[in-house]
Amino acid sequence: MSRHKITAERVFHALGDPTRRSIVERITEGPVSVSALAIPLDITLTAVVQHLQVLEDCGLVQTEKIGRVRTCRLKTTGFSILEQWIRDRRSTWERRLDRLGSLLAEPDEDQ
Amino acid sequence: MQPSSVVHSTIVIERSYPKPPERVFAALADPAKKRRWFAEAENQIVDEFEMEFRVGGIERLRYRLEGDVPVKGIPITSEARYQDIVPNQRVVAASTTSVGNHRISASLVTIELLPTENGTDLILTYQGAFFEGADGPQSREAGFRKLLDRLATELAR
Repeated sequence: MSRHKITAERVFHALGDPTRRSIVERITEGPVSVSALAIPLDITLTAVVQHLQVLEDCGLVQTEKIGRVRTCRLKTTGFSILEQWIRDRRSTWERRLDRLGSLLAEPDEDQ
Repeated sequence: MQPSSVVHSTIVIERSYPKPPERVFAALADPAKKRRWFAEAENQIVDEFEMEFRVGGIERLRYRLEGDVPVKGIPITSEARYQDIVPNQRVVAASTTSVGNHRISASLVTIELLPTENGTDLILTYQGAFFEGADGPQSREAGFRKLLDRLATELAR
């Protein structure tokens, strides 16, 4: 669906909106139909669809039409991009200490 | 007054490891172990790593970064001299980092190990002076802050 490369900036922009955040939080619990999503948000179905389009374009949400019902579920692409973005910004020393932790987690080699 | 050409920055990082201080200290003192967590990383080619683990001894790391980074392929050298070593308790080293022929920072790195019920708390204190053109933690911090500011702006809408 997304024609452009998904960047962390776009994911941040998508999550910068409180309505879109509450949509993401809601579907974290499981897939929801678009019409069911609209009810607690107290906004029109058209507005929900627009928000979903933004979330879908940046890989946070996936929608699928089954019969007459459009369902949306979480997609991991956008989250992976955020994870990578945060990892890239950790300092050299933080990454080193992460690796020290992995090394220490190995079984005792000198026994 | 002219703007200063040096930026000072102190970073404190704390970690808890489920291993006794002796084990953590061994990973700081043993060259083969230290190479694995200190020198070797993804997108990084290690050209040289050597260390003489004694007060006054030198530790030298030369590496190049791969991937989508501005300093791709340029040799990065960090050279440290051990200033203080107390087995299972602390290691202090003074070091410099250069990118190509350009020295970008000088720093004092203190690693303290504190025994806990479940293992060890490690406290790393990095006190650095960053020179012109340094892509050091402070500029990374600034980049991080800029994006977080942008996020805050978005959140405020």
